[in-house]
Amino acid sequence: MAAPELDSDVLIVGSGASGAAAAWSLSRGGLRVTCLEQGRWVDPSEYAHSRPDYELARQTSFAKDPNVRGWAADYPINNSGTPIYPLMVNAVGGSTVHWSGHFPRMRPSDFRVRTLDGVADDWPFTYWDLEPYYDLNDSMVGVSGLAGDPANPPRSPRQTPPLAFDAGCEAYLRGLENLGWHWWPCDNALISEPFGENRSPCNCCGPCDIGCPIGAMSSAHVTYWPKALAQGVQLITHARVEQITVDHAGQATGALYYDDHGVRRSHTAGVVVMAANGVGTPRLLLNSTSARFPNGLANNSGVVGAYLMFHPVAFVSGVFEEVVNGQRGPIGGLMNCQEFYETDLARGFVRGFELQLSRSVGPLSVANGGILGHPVPWGSEHHEALRSRYAHTMTTSVMLEDLPEPENRVTLDPELTDAHGIPAPRVEYRAGENTQRMLEFSIARARELFEAAGAVEILVDPLVQESGWHLMGTCRMGDDPERSVINGWGQAHECSNLFVIDGSTFTTSAAVNPTSTIQAVALRCADWLGRNYRDVAA
Amino acid sequence: MTTRILTPEELALLSLVQDELVPSYGDLPPAGTLGAALTVDAYLAEQPRLRRPVLTTLRAIEVRAGKAPFAELDAGRRVEVLRKVENADPESFSELVKQTYNAYYTRPDIQASLGIDNPPQPLGFELPAFDESRLSRVRAMGKLWRDD
Ligand SMILES: Cc1cc2nc3c(=O)[nH]c(=O)nc-3n(C[C@H](O)[C@H](O)[C@H](O)COP(=O)(O)OP(=O)(O)OC[C@H]3O[C@@H](n4cnc5c(N)ncnc54)[C@H](O)[C@@H]3O)c2cc1C
Ligand code: SF4
Repeated sequence: MAAPELDSDVLIVGSGASGAAAAWSLSRGGLRVTCLEQGRWVDPSEYAHSRPDYELARQTSFAKDPNVRGWAADYPINNSGTPIYPLMVNAVGGSTVHWSGHFPRMRPSDFRVRTLDGVADDWPFTYWDLEPYYDLNDSMVGVSGLAGDPANPPRSPRQTPPLAFDAGCEAYLRGLENLGWHWWPCDNALISEPFGENRSPCNCCGPCDIGCPIGAMSSAHVTYWPKALAQGVQLITHARVEQITVDHAGQATGALYYDDHGVRRSHTAGVVVMAANGVGTPRLLLNSTSARFPNGLANNSGVVGAYLMFHPVAFVSGVFEEVVNGQRGPIGGLMNCQEFYETDLARGFVRGFELQLSRSVGPLSVANGGILGHPVPWGSEHHEALRSRYAHTMTTSVMLEDLPEPENRVTLDPELTDAHGIPAPRVEYRAGENTQRMLEFSIARARELFEAAGAVEILVDPLVQESGWHLMGTCRMGDDPERSVINGWGQAHECSNLFVIDGSTFTTSAAVNPTSTIQAVALRCADWLGRNYRDVAA
Repeated sequence: MTTRILTPEELALLSLVQDELVPSYGDLPPAGTLGAALTVDAYLAEQPRLRRPVLTTLRAIEVRAGKAPFAELDAGRRVEVLRKVENADPESFSELVKQTYNAYYTRPDIQASLGIDNPPQPLGFELPAFDESRLSRVRAMGKLWRDD
């Protein structure tokens, strides 16, 4: 335990996927844990799913781009330097409050890309080191899926069975079987049968991306938070952290934050854990300057904010003659095709991608281009065009590994600030050459799949602007303090009682959605911190 | 009719424009006739960022229509005017189209015409269960991941 005069033993900044998991883990061992979260609890009555105008929520109250959504807890992001906009949710549960719950794991090779493929860096640990934490996390959140996928190492039985297999799956299957490609029903962070408390199994209503009103989606506010609070964690909402404070020796002492009434407060702790996501964490560290750290906390190396990775995404949609009812069933998770996941240099690029065979959206989102990126034309052709697409479309996301490049980064905007006057982040990003070659190749494969499946029309959005769901790499892990911010336990090289556990920890991005890995990494770091607290606390 | 942002003249013009954007279909009246302009007016009141593109587009339509008001043009000429305005400022025009679609496709009667009887919750949908036998070919593929 830290000195009793400290407000907490551990202060966590951010209550999202990683912060929630760490709060639960750290409080198990009796540490006094406080979490500062700028957002609030989302009230179930706010979800729009029971209203005929539910699809409007995608453009307004549950928009994924915080610059559009404009909740009081959202902070502005300068996106002028990136073709991909960062997306996030600022609330208790973080960006898992409205997401798609696709929950694949990374593969062993993803942790060893330098050794195997001569690019980027290896992670400071292996898949096998992380495996127990993947399992622990799955057992906490509840996953639907099926063990036995030959494209991945064996894994523990899933908590609930895979989701339904309907006409859209049959359409995909035609293509996959014709081509002889790999596919598997994917792991989803949602429950298909009863699991956990106060949660109902998924009833296949469709629009998970605007939240799940029945608790079927395994979002951090319904999985970890009730348990963490029961273990005594103090969660302070509407608390916007401005900076992490340090003492003369450069050790973290806590944080300064603005409370619900705009009053600036300080919170002291023996250890500070950053869980504010791949944009929020570098933003706060860069804003935490001191004599010891003039470029931002733990940033004498200049690596904080650098090496930003998204997963650049293309959407390829197939329009079928038959009704596939893609608007029914969870929008994200259906099947994965990992035929092209591992490196094959004959393809013209290193590393690989997966095809996420997903569903579609309701009539309004189809009309507006929705996830297709192609609005239905207005005028005399409108109705026929709408009717040919609505309920007849399935959309595949091409998700590819983005290599870490130092020029892709989060910095502080010199002018833009949030409502509290805290500098806003500015994001600079361009897809590298390897990524561009892979995008081209992967879009062609998705087209091939839809052709083999018998689609009558194929629509392509080659680089989706609103696809910065996955914010990774901006405080990367590594053994080399010149090329990384934290070690394999999340501990900052330059500040031993500062930890980072969110998406910014990723050394490389892999080609799968990151959140099961983010939470497994957070649990692993929290486990180590819990066991070594006395040695690292200030 | 009480509007919140649009003048009665703008409302009438928007209504005519919407009739061209989403025309009648079978028994379904066109969007403007269904009252979509008033719904868009409510959106403009709630979301100030929408006002500039929508109002700019309405003004541009008036200007493009020339001496005769848009209302007096025949259907072919109206569409021609709208295409020209769209080409000159596609971004603003597409916002007007989007808000028209928003107003139209959130109506339960239009949704019913597409076979939608209820919003997604609370009933959801019943879908067939996953059939593991479909995986037999893939299971036989053998190990597809690399060891480290
Ligand atoms: C629409 C959408 C769909 C997605 N779909 C998927 C998917 O299918 N599969 C998948 O794996 N991932 C998906 N993601 C990504 C996933 O949500 C994130 O990877 C995950 O939530 C990141 O966890 P995190 O802990 O790094 O940060 P977050 O969950 O984003 O949590 C960060 C928290 O920190 C808080 N915070 C930030 N700054 C401050 C501050 N200054 N003071 C106080 N609090 C602060 C924020 O309010 C937030 O609550 C999706 C994301 C979005 C937006
Ligand atoms: S489809 Fe299932 S998980 Fe998604 S919002 Fe509906 S009930 Fe929730």
